Amino acid sequence: MVTFRLPRLFEKKRGSRRTGSQAWGQFGEACFYGSLLVAGVVFTVILGRRILEAPGFASISLWTWLLTLLLPGALLSIGGSGLARLLTGWGRSEEGMAALRRFPEMFQPSGRGFDANEFPSVPPWENFNNSPGTMLRYRLPLESAESWSVFGFGLFAVLWNAVVILLAVAAGVDFVGGQTDWLLLAILVPFVAIGIGGVVVFVRALVLQNAVGPTQIEIADHPLRPGDRCDVIIGQGGIGMFRQISLSLELEELATFRQGTDTRTERRVVREEPVAEWRAITIAPGHRFEERASFEVPAEAMHSFASLHNSVTWRIAVRVEPAKWPKFTRHFPIVVLPQRTGPTLLNTPPAGIATVGSGR
Amino acid sequence: MSRTAGQERLEPRVVVNFDRPSRRYDPQETVRLQYHVAGTGDAQVRMIERSALWYTEGKGEEDLGICFFERITDAEHLPPTQRQGEFAFRLPASPMTYEGTIVKIRWCVRVRLFFKGRRDFVSEHVFDVGELPPAMPLRQPPTAPR
Repeated sequence: MVTFRLPRLFEKKRGSRRTGSQAWGQFGEACFYGSLLVAGVVFTVILGRRILEAPGFASISLWTWLLTLLLPGALLSIGGSGLARLLTGWGRSEEGMAALRRFPEMFQPSGRGFDANEFPSVPPWENFNNSPGTMLRYRLPLESAESWSVFGFGLFAVLWNAVVILLAVAAGVDFVGGQTDWLLLAILVPFVAIGIGGVVVFVRALVLQNAVGPTQIEIADHPLRPGDRCDVIIGQGGIGMFRQISLSLELEELATFRQGTDTRTERRVVREEPVAEWRAITIAPGHRFEERASFEVPAEAMHSFASLHNSVTWRIAVRVEPAKWPKFTRHFPIVVLPQRTGPTLLNTPPAGIATVGSGR
Repeated sequence: MSRTAGQERLEPRVVVNFDRPSRRYDPQETVRLQYHVAGTGDAQVRMIERSALWYTEGKGEEDLGICFFERITDAEHLPPTQRQGEFAFRLPASPMTYEGTIVKIRWCVRVRLFFKGRRDFVSEHVFDVGELPPAMPLRQPPTAPR
């Protein structure tokens, strides 16, 4: 039960807090999702009746049914799911909602040892440990940002140039027909320039990715703890001269936030521990650069952390400076667990979620 | 904020005393605390929620993880009949309190009072899990990965 207050047309936003009434906000949301649901029901009834009353009802194919019910189905699902979400959270506090979301975890087994359930909010490390190394225990996977960038450049180049081709064909048809659309030609010139630029950027990224050769990292143990010392082997493929190859341990913070309608991600390296550095390297055909080093996770280090919008990630960074190609950095994420605590504490039961009393 | 005629102005306060004045705990330790609710007058509290949780602060959207949650609805355990309370919970192994540059992790205890016919009131009390030094920015932004 909340004190009645009329909604205000204009409201202030102070950081993440708003001056407006939460109850009115929820009411507005409920009206929006409710209207979508009602529209979905009305559409379904009207369309369903028309189809059933159509003369060739029996011959209507499944695809026609699906296409006809696509719009009302979308309205029903968006409206219904939105209303269900609102009803689940109605009158609940932020903590109550979080406890409700955590409830399924209570049924999961929480074994001891290196069990992911034992370290809430530490990212899972199974994918880092499923590839054995040839000399050390694990071969670390490469952070996939490199491949995604090349894919993104390629997709942009294809889509943009498809539009350019359509415009060019339209301009060509006009020209053959004895007409010249100067506006279309004026638009076409910058479009062609951007299209060529897109192809150049994509080809350059593709060549750079494949020309220098792969980088491999193997480590002796994983996951690690603050204060742990660990052996690492770096393998760098390629042919020719490299000015420098360096290895370092980095801690990166990542935050995802909304700015207007955009979702943005900001990354910041907050710690960098140099591990090893090699200069003036020549790799002969059929060979690869291979060196062993060891590093120590700082004793007072923050553990790896990942939540929905924020993360703290440890990674091994390999900086390569080839003689004939631009220098580049490749990242190999690792997981660092929290500092060790007393073994007896591990046996105490976990914290719980309870309701005392006769209900709400 | 408008008030219904006859409603007295409330200034609720929740005073929390941790079993450790430094409010610093190690992961997997048990935290014990007592609280006292004041300033509610004769207003009827229909429910109290007490919880322990971590949340993120900084540049990103706020994330939240609950460690302990308890709801009290019995009138005999609620103000004005009973103004004190105590509870205990065991901390998980992670996350630890972290003072990063764009990501910060804080632990807190919240006591939320739900009044009859009024807005709810929440009192937050921060404590530390672990003892990590604050992070310092090195460079911004990092070189694009290849």
